[in-house]
Amino acid sequence: MDLVVQALINGLVSGALLAVPAIGFTAMFAVLRFPNFSVSGVATLGAFAGYLAYGAGLQMVGSLAAAFAVAGIVGLFLDRVAHMPLVRQGALPAAIASIASGLVLENVVRLGFGNDMRGYDRPIARDVRWGDIRFNPQQLETMAVAVAIMLAVFAALAFTRIGKAMRASADNPELAALKGIRPQRVAMMASFIGMGLVGMGGMLLGLDSSIDPLTGTRILLSIFAAAVLGGLGSAPGAVLGAFLIGMAEELSVLVVGSPYRSAVGFFAILIVLTARPRGLLGERAF
Amino acid sequence: MTRIVLGRRVALLSGAAAVAAPAVLRAQSALNTADPIRIATLTPLTGSGGSYGPAMAKAAAGVVEEVNAAGGVLGRKVVLVSEDDQTNPDAGVRAARKLIDVDKVSAIMGTWASSVTTAVAPLCWENKTFLTSTSGADSITLLPHQGYLVRTQPNTQLQVGHAGEFLLSIDCRKTFTLVPQTPFAQSSIDVLNRVMTKGGGTHGGLIYDDKKTTYRTEVDQALRFGPDAIFCAGYTPDTVVMLKDLYRAGYKGKIIGQAYAINQKLIEQVGQVEIVEGVYTFAPSPAEGGGAYERVKKITGLANPDPYSSQVYDHANMVLMAMAQAKDTTGTAIKDNIRKVCQGGGKPVDNAVDGLKAIAAGEKVDYAGASGPCDFDGKGDILDCKFRYEQIKAGKPVLVKIF
Repeated sequence: MDLVVQALINGLVSGALLAVPAIGFTAMFAVLRFPNFSVSGVATLGAFAGYLAYGAGLQMVGSLAAAFAVAGIVGLFLDRVAHMPLVRQGALPAAIASIASGLVLENVVRLGFGNDMRGYDRPIARDVRWGDIRFNPQQLETMAVAVAIMLAVFAALAFTRIGKAMRASADNPELAALKGIRPQRVAMMASFIGMGLVGMGGMLLGLDSSIDPLTGTRILLSIFAAAVLGGLGSAPGAVLGAFLIGMAEELSVLVVGSPYRSAVGFFAILIVLTARPRGLLGERAF
Repeated sequence: MTRIVLGRRVALLSGAAAVAAPAVLRAQSALNTADPIRIATLTPLTGSGGSYGPAMAKAAAGVVEEVNAAGGVLGRKVVLVSEDDQTNPDAGVRAARKLIDVDKVSAIMGTWASSVTTAVAPLCWENKTFLTSTSGADSITLLPHQGYLVRTQPNTQLQVGHAGEFLLSIDCRKTFTLVPQTPFAQSSIDVLNRVMTKGGGTHGGLIYDDKKTTYRTEVDQALRFGPDAIFCAGYTPDTVVMLKDLYRAGYKGKIIGQAYAINQKLIEQVGQVEIVEGVYTFAPSPAEGGGAYERVKKITGLANPDPYSSQVYDHANMVLMAMAQAKDTTGTAIKDNIRKVCQGGGKPVDNAVDGLKAIAAGEKVDYAGASGPCDFDGKGDILDCKFRYEQIKAGKPVLVKIF
């Protein structure tokens, strides 16, 4: 039983880290209406930007800001140049182009940093035990940062002008345009903020393990599965999906064995698309 | 403007020169114009094995350069094509297809990850292209390769069996294997299980997905077994995460792993010496001090070349000598002659340049190279190999023993 409880706690930690890029992914889908798979490359880029900032002496918050800014700017550039011109042809060409941009970004990082893995210069602490259950103080800290980012995003969506404009555009773009909300501007903000969140997610995952050019590719399926499970386009859905995928992946180790852990994401997508294509919370942006 | 007028005589002379030029050039260097012999390296320039592939490709290129400088093979120049398998079976198959269909190479050398070798091997034997590998999974030489495959890396049986004996010798009797999903996963667990049971110990094992960023739950399962030693049988990226998670979990027993995974890069990447302090590593021991090993040092520019660069150096030498022995450059010719140049007695040689001269003089050669004796059984496995055991102390690997 304690193994199950421990697995659930481990799942909560990985779910919290997964939730940040999943919100970014789903927010971009809500406004831009195509699944932007370049999040794999952007997460890697964010992880490396954060790594450089951390190495330069910025603390965690400063490094997260750097990861957000670099990933946001590059993500916005890619959307403007490579993805948005194709959206008019439909979501599929844009999605395929985004896979290509993800690969380009991954290889740009490879060109600059090589294939070697790198770790943030952050001493690793031993776990704290509470009976048979163990917690890692650093992982709890990273999780707390992830939760704080999520709360900030929800607050921005609920209370700021741009947040309200994004939600309005996601719900009904034509009506939003009639109300004077400029769709171009909202789309650009969605790209910038969404990709910035993905970049921060890459850094948070890197803080917990290590980074290399494949960092983002490793988590792409889990991000996509979390967003689909919660309902593509729904930010709370992405959070719920991320926690469920995180816990399901950890529990799967005990039930079907560790090699099948990656199958959890595919399985979740399959079940959702078959039984409830809207996802758990539907498509509402908030 | 100046008009250039060519006289009749000049024009005739120029024409004759133009017609004769190819023959003159051909006479100048037969190596440049004869159809070159094409061979290839398919090594991991990126991915988990990315820290080994470049030096491996360089080692083969060094051999080709030496052989071309000495006149080539059968009077023909050797061209080496180098491709990246990305430590990934899909990419490996795409690269092998290109090497076989477009470059038309007669040998592919150096596949490193067992999953890549397993995927590439059928393409090779179906197209009668010879494959030399540095992968260790038992299953590889059990494939129906019809003789088109040899490997210089000891198989899992030999490697893990040896590591098991070592663990028993340092008094570890309750061991646990953590191994990623690879062709050598189950056999690693089975072999260590057998050795431990025979030595009066117990053993447990778990196969994991190597693409994850955390292994906390896997570590929990391993620690419930209460092991006094854990065999981390993964590659570098997953082993970094595993070692960190073992440390976080407070594990204080012994750890052993393959030296190809637990290497200087891993130590730097973990970045905290106490996490890797006392960890044992093992690897097939190259023939240190020999002439071939010294040449690998020179070619790769490394003070301590890894076993894989040494092995690929040997692959290139053996493949080229087998062609000379066969007086033919096809994959089938290599298959039928490779054992004739590296085992069964004859003039001992440790490089292809000397070997090619001896073969041209009608002598039988027996190649022993940078990785060891290079004697193969009927399946393509090497017959014997020594292992080097090291222990990490204060962030540096320290030799424990070679046996």
